[in-house]
Amino acid sequence: MTDSVGRVSSRRAIIQGAAAGAVATLLPGTSRAANEPAIGTYPAGSSGDTVFIGITIPRTGTYAVPGEDVLKGYQLAIEHLNAGDPLIRMISPHTSKGVLGKQVTSGVADSGAKPNDAVQNGSRFISQNKAVLITGSVSSAEAVALNKLAQREKVIYLPGISGSNDTTGKDCVRYSFRECFYGQTAAAAIAPVMVKNIGKNKKAAYLVPDYTYGHTVHQSMEQFLKAGGWTTATAQVAPLGAPDYSSYLLNIANSGADVFININFGNDAVQSIKQAQQFGILGKQILSVPYNTPFLARDVGADLMAGVYAATDFWWTLEDRFPLAKQFVAAFEKKFGYKPEWGANAGYMQLAMWADAVERAKSFYPPDIIKAYEAGPEIQSTVGPVRFRGADHQLIRPVIIERGKKKADMKSADDYYEVLEVVPGEGLMQAPDAFGCSLGPAT
Amino acid sequence: MLSWPNFFSQFFNGLALGALLALISSGLTIIYGTLGVLNLAHGAMFMLGGYAGFVAWQHTGSFALAVLAGSLFMVVVGVLIERVVIRNFYRRPHEDQILVTFGIGIVLVELVRLGFGSDTVSIQPPAWAMGVTPLGFLIYPTYRIVVLGIAAAALLVLYFVLYRTRIGMIVRAGIEDSGMVDILGINVNHVFMLVFGIGAMAAGFAGIVNAPVVALTPDAGDTILVETFVVVVIGGVGSFPGAVLGGLIAGEILSLTSMVDPSYSEVMLFAVMTLVLVLRPQGLLGQQDRA
Amino acid sequence: MRRSAGWRRWWPEAAAAAGLLIAPFVLPFLGFSPDTVNRIVVWGLFGLGFDLLFGYTGLLSFGQSAFFGTGGFIAAYLLTKNLIASVLLALCIGTIGAAIAGVLVGLIALRRTGIYFAMITVAIAEVFFFVENSPLSDYTGGENGIPGVPAPAFDLGFLKFQVGTGWSMYWFLAACFFVGLVIARRIVASPVGAILVAIRDNPQRVQALGHSTGAYKLVIFVIAAAYAGFAGGLLGVLQGYMPPDAFTFDTSGQLVIQTVIGGTGTLFGPLAGAAVWLYLRDFLQGPMGLGNAWRLGLGLIFVLLVCFLRRGIIGGIRQLFARPPAPAPEETPIALAAPTLVSVGPAARRRVPENGHSGPILQAQGLTKRYGGLLANRDITFSVEEGELRGVIGPNGAGKSTFFKMLTCEVPPTSGTIRFHGHDITGRGVAQVCQLGLTKSYQVNQLFVRLTVRQNVTIAALAERRGMFKPDLLRGLHRVPGLDVQVEQTLALVNLSARADTPVAELAYGEKRRLEIGLALASSPTLLLLDEPLAGMSPRERAETVQLLRNIRRGRTLVIVEHDMDAMFDLAERITVLHEGTLLAEGTPAEIQRNSFVQEAYLGGVAAA
Repeated sequence: MTDSVGRVSSRRAIIQGAAAGAVATLLPGTSRAANEPAIGTYPAGSSGDTVFIGITIPRTGTYAVPGEDVLKGYQLAIEHLNAGDPLIRMISPHTSKGVLGKQVTSGVADSGAKPNDAVQNGSRFISQNKAVLITGSVSSAEAVALNKLAQREKVIYLPGISGSNDTTGKDCVRYSFRECFYGQTAAAAIAPVMVKNIGKNKKAAYLVPDYTYGHTVHQSMEQFLKAGGWTTATAQVAPLGAPDYSSYLLNIANSGADVFININFGNDAVQSIKQAQQFGILGKQILSVPYNTPFLARDVGADLMAGVYAATDFWWTLEDRFPLAKQFVAAFEKKFGYKPEWGANAGYMQLAMWADAVERAKSFYPPDIIKAYEAGPEIQSTVGPVRFRGADHQLIRPVIIERGKKKADMKSADDYYEVLEVVPGEGLMQAPDAFGCSLGPAT
Repeated sequence: MLSWPNFFSQFFNGLALGALLALISSGLTIIYGTLGVLNLAHGAMFMLGGYAGFVAWQHTGSFALAVLAGSLFMVVVGVLIERVVIRNFYRRPHEDQILVTFGIGIVLVELVRLGFGSDTVSIQPPAWAMGVTPLGFLIYPTYRIVVLGIAAAALLVLYFVLYRTRIGMIVRAGIEDSGMVDILGINVNHVFMLVFGIGAMAAGFAGIVNAPVVALTPDAGDTILVETFVVVVIGGVGSFPGAVLGGLIAGEILSLTSMVDPSYSEVMLFAVMTLVLVLRPQGLLGQQDRA
Repeated sequence: MRRSAGWRRWWPEAAAAAGLLIAPFVLPFLGFSPDTVNRIVVWGLFGLGFDLLFGYTGLLSFGQSAFFGTGGFIAAYLLTKNLIASVLLALCIGTIGAAIAGVLVGLIALRRTGIYFAMITVAIAEVFFFVENSPLSDYTGGENGIPGVPAPAFDLGFLKFQVGTGWSMYWFLAACFFVGLVIARRIVASPVGAILVAIRDNPQRVQALGHSTGAYKLVIFVIAAAYAGFAGGLLGVLQGYMPPDAFTFDTSGQLVIQTVIGGTGTLFGPLAGAAVWLYLRDFLQGPMGLGNAWRLGLGLIFVLLVCFLRRGIIGGIRQLFARPPAPAPEETPIALAAPTLVSVGPAARRRVPENGHSGPILQAQGLTKRYGGLLANRDITFSVEEGELRGVIGPNGAGKSTFFKMLTCEVPPTSGTIRFHGHDITGRGVAQVCQLGLTKSYQVNQLFVRLTVRQNVTIAALAERRGMFKPDLLRGLHRVPGLDVQVEQTLALVNLSARADTPVAELAYGEKRRLEIGLALASSPTLLLLDEPLAGMSPRERAETVQLLRNIRRGRTLVIVEHDMDAMFDLAERITVLHEGTLLAEGTPAEIQRNSFVQEAYLGGVAAA
C-alpha cells in the first residue's frame, strides 16, 4: 500500500514538470516565502478573495439522515467562519473573518454513501472549483476512498463520520485528519463501563453487519469484554442493508444471551432494533450499541432506548459540562430548529479546527497546513480540550458513554440519554502504529 | 445454532417470510402473465404502498383503514401508470417495457424521497397484534403471525379471483394464450388495466402489511425486487401457483440456512435459483414455451 | 453493405478519432472538467460491449456490473500487490478474468431469453457483489475497495511517458476507447456481427437457417463481459482507487440508462449517454440546486426518452439525416426460364458425407408425434427420391405442420426415425439438419424485419458458407468467399434484386413471401420443404410464385405442403395425402384425384358440405 502511494507521488513529481517540481525538490521545507511551489490546488484555489470547500455527503440512500446532519454542521461552521462568530474563535483563536481573510464558499454533492461517487465528487471539486478542502463522509468506505484521492491530488480532506480503524490506520494518509473516534476506541471505552454496570461473566449475542467495520468492532468488543469474563453466545453476521432481520434475531433470541450487542449503523441499526423488540429480545437482553448512530433514539423511540448502552462522539446534554457545547447547541438549534447530533458536531469541529490550522500556518500551502495540524497544540472543543496526533492524524478526544433514559425520566422531548462517563481519549486510543498507519509524503 | 427449537422457529419464520414474498411475487407474475410486461417498478410499488398506508395511518390512526386506503391508492396508481404509460408499450419489444418500468421505478422512489425525506417511517400495528405470542417451541411476534395470516388470506382471495370469477378466467385465458382473449371478444384494454391495478395492489398491500415489521425507507423496494425475481424464476414466470411455491421455498431457504451461517443465506437463495435453471429452466411450475 | 470507397467505410473511425482529439480543447468551455470527461470515456468503453450485447443482439442484461467489477478488481489487486508492474498487462488479465466470468454466467443466464435473461443477470450480479464484499474481502478490501491503483507508464526506450491525472490520463483512456471502438466496429461489420443483428430480430429463424444461435450469443456475452472488465480496470486506474460500488446494481442500471439515452445499436450511444448523465448529474445538483432530487430529474428524462425517443440521442440524429424510403418499383414478372443460376444449387457445397448412399434422399419410418393425450401424427412412413417435387396435401388438422416440423427436426418425434441421404438425423438440432442441406420455408413469414432484403439473404447464405459456428469476429463480411455472389444470385432467383436494399418492413406481402423462400434457398439446400408457399396470395402473386417454384426445382428436391390443390396437381409429380395424422394415400396427381379414399376424406368432404 505505502509503496504504491510512493509511486503515485513520484509520478506527480514528474508531471508537475520542470518549474514546480524542480523547486519542490531543490528547496524542501523552505516554503514560508512567496515562492512556494504549486501543489494540488495551491495557489490557484486561494489566489482570489474567496476559497472553496467541496462537501461530498450522502443525501440519498441508507446514510442520508446522518449525512444531512453532518452537512448542517458544515453549513453552520462556514457561516460562523465568514462572520467571525465568537464560538469559532474559541476553537480557532486566530480567526477574524473568513479564513486568512478570505470568505469561504462551498459546494455540496450527493455521494449516496458510495465511495465511487464520493471520489467522483471530490475530483470534480478539485478540478472544477479548485477546492482548497474536501470534506464529508458517513461511511468509512467513502472516507478511505477520499483519503487516497486527497493524497494523490495533494488537497486536504477531512472525513465527516468514519468509524473504521483503517481511516487513520492502514489507510491513513498525510492529507487527511479525522475528528471522530473509531470502532476499536469505542469498544475500549464502552466495554469496562458495561462490565461495571451490568456485571461480570455475562453472555453476549452480536449482530454484525457483514463488512470490515462490523467485523473489526465485533472483534474489539469480544476482546475487551473478555477482561470482564464475558463470553459470546452467538454472532450473527447479516448483510448490509438487510431489510428483514427475523432469522438472525430468532437465533439471537434462542441463544440464551444476557446482552445483545448490535453493531449495525444507520438505518440498519434502526431496523434491527425495532425488529429485536418485536421478537421480545429487548425485554430479556440488555441492548448495547457500541457505535451510536445519529438520531437512533428519535427513530426507534424512547421506550426501546431506555437502558441501552451506547458510545458516542457528542450528545447535546454535554452542554452542562462544556461551555463550547452549550454555545454550539444553542447556535445550531437556533439555525436549524433541532438539537445537533454528533454528526453535526463532527462537521462543525472539523471545519473549525481546519481554520485554526490554516490560521496558524498563515498560508493555504498544504504542507504548511499539515505541519500546523501535526504540531498538535491543544484545541478547545465542544467536548473539552483535544489535540491531533501527528503520527496518524487522529484527534485525541474523549468517548462519551451514554445510557438511554426511561421516558419518565426525560426532561424534554430530546432528552434521550444520560451521559454516564466521558472517557478521556488519552490512553484509550491505541498506539498510532497499531493499525499499520504510514502517512506518506506531504509533497 | 442447530437445535430443534431453533429449527422449528426458523421453519415457522420461513413460512412467514415466504408468504409475504409469495404475495409480492404473485403481483409481478400476474402482470407478466397477462400483459406480458415485466414490471421493474414492482419493488417501488411495494415501497409506495407502504408510504400510502403510512399517510392514511397518520391521519386516521387506524391500521385497518391504512391497509384499505393504501391498497385503493395503489390500485389507482397502478391504473394510472397503465393508462398513461404502459398502454403504449404493449406493441413494443420486451426490452422497452423493461426499460420504461425501470424508469418509472426510479421516479417513484425519488418522488417519495422528495416528499418524505430519507428518514425511516413506520406504522404501528393494531394494539391487539402487539407483543409476542408463545407458540410452545418458540416465542414469536404476534404481528408477524398476523402477517402470515393476512398474506395467506390475501393469496386465497387472489386464488379465488383468478380461478373462480369471470375476470379470473379471462386473466388465466390471457396467460395461456394472449390471442384467446381477443377471440373471445372481451375488451382487453379494460382487463389489462384492471390486472395492472391488481398487480400494483398486491405489491402495495404487501408493502403496507410489512410496514410495521420493517420500517420504511424510499429504497425499501430494491432488495425486495431482486428477491421477487428469484422467487418467480424458481416458481416459473407467469404462474400464480409457481409464485406461491417459489415464495415459500425462498422464505425457508433464507430462514433455515441462517442457522448454519447467516452471512450466506442470500447466496444460498441464488444457488437454488441456478440449480432450478439448470435442471428445469422454465421454473418449477412454469410452462415450457413461455419466455 | 456494398463495398464502398475506403474513406466512406472508415469515416466513423476518423470522426471518432477527430472528436477524441479535439475534446480536451472544446469540452472545458462547455463546463466539463477533465475528470468528468475521463469518466465519460470509461463509461463509453464499458458501453461499447453492452451495446454489442443489447443494441445489436437484443440481450438486455442488468448484470454487467459483475464483469465491470471482476475485471477492475483483478487488475487493481495485481497492481497494488505488485504482482504485475505493467498496468496494461494487468488490465488485460483483468479483462480475461471478466471474460471467464462471462463464460460461466453466460452458460447459466443464456439458457433463457427475454425477461428471464434480464432477471437472471440481476440476480447473478448480486451474487458477485456479495462474493466481493464478504468472502473475498481479504483480496478486494470489502466495502473499502482497493486504493492506490497506479497509473500506467510507458518506456519506449527513447521516450518515457508517465500518465498522470486530468488530461494526461485522458489521452491514455481515449486511446483505449479508440482501440475498443475500432474492434467493436469490426465485430459489427463481420459475419458474426451480421448474425447477431439477425438474432435480435428472430433467433429461431437464425437457428433454423443453420447457425448455432447459442454459441453466437455466448460469444457476444463474453465479449461484452471483456469490455466491461477492461473498463472496470480503467476505472481503478483513472481514480487510483477501485471502488466496491463497481459491483452494485446501480452500476448496471446506470449503464443501461446511459446507453438508452445515447441510443442503442450505434456504438457511440453509451458515450453520448454517459456525457449527458454525468453532465446533468453535476448540473442538476450544482447550478440547478436540485440537491438530493437530482435523481428524480434524471429518472424523468429517462422515462420520457424511452417513451418518445427510443432511438436515443445518436439514433435521433441519425434519423434526421436518414434518407426517406425508396418507393416500390414496378414489379417485373418472374422470368419464365431460370436465369443463369446454376451455381446456386446443391452443387455449391456438399455437406452430407458421402457414404455411397443411392436410395431416396429422405426416408421417414413410422413417425409418430404425441402431445400429451393428443396424437398429432401416427406411424407415417414417407420417402422422397432425389430430384422429385412432392406435394403434401390434407384437410385442416391433418397434421401436416407437425409432420413438417419433425422432418426438419424442429420437434423430435415421439417414435420413428428420419434418414436424410441415408444418415439418421432423428433427434438432431434444426441448425445441424440445415447444415446437412435440409431446410424449410415457413407458412408464416419468419423474416428479419428490421434488416434489408439483402441482409436477410446474407444471413442464410452465411450459414452455408461458414457452417454452424465460426468466431471470425474481425473478418469483413464481404471477405467471406463466394458470399456476395451467392446472395446476388439468390436475389435474382426470387426476383428481388431491385429491392435488395429495402428494409423488409417496407416490402409488399408477395415480396415477403418470395423472400421467405429466398432465405431457405440461400442456404443451398439439397432438400427444400416449403410450408404453404402460396398462402394468402393474390392470383397474380400466386401465378408468379408457381413460376418461381418451377424455376427453383431444377437440381433440387422439393416437398411442398399446400392448400391450393390445383396448383399442387399442376406442379407435383407425386402427391402424399395426410388425413387425421396418418398417411392416407400416395401417388401421381392423377391417381390421387381418382382415389376414392381421398375423395371421401378430403374432396368428398367439400362436395358433401
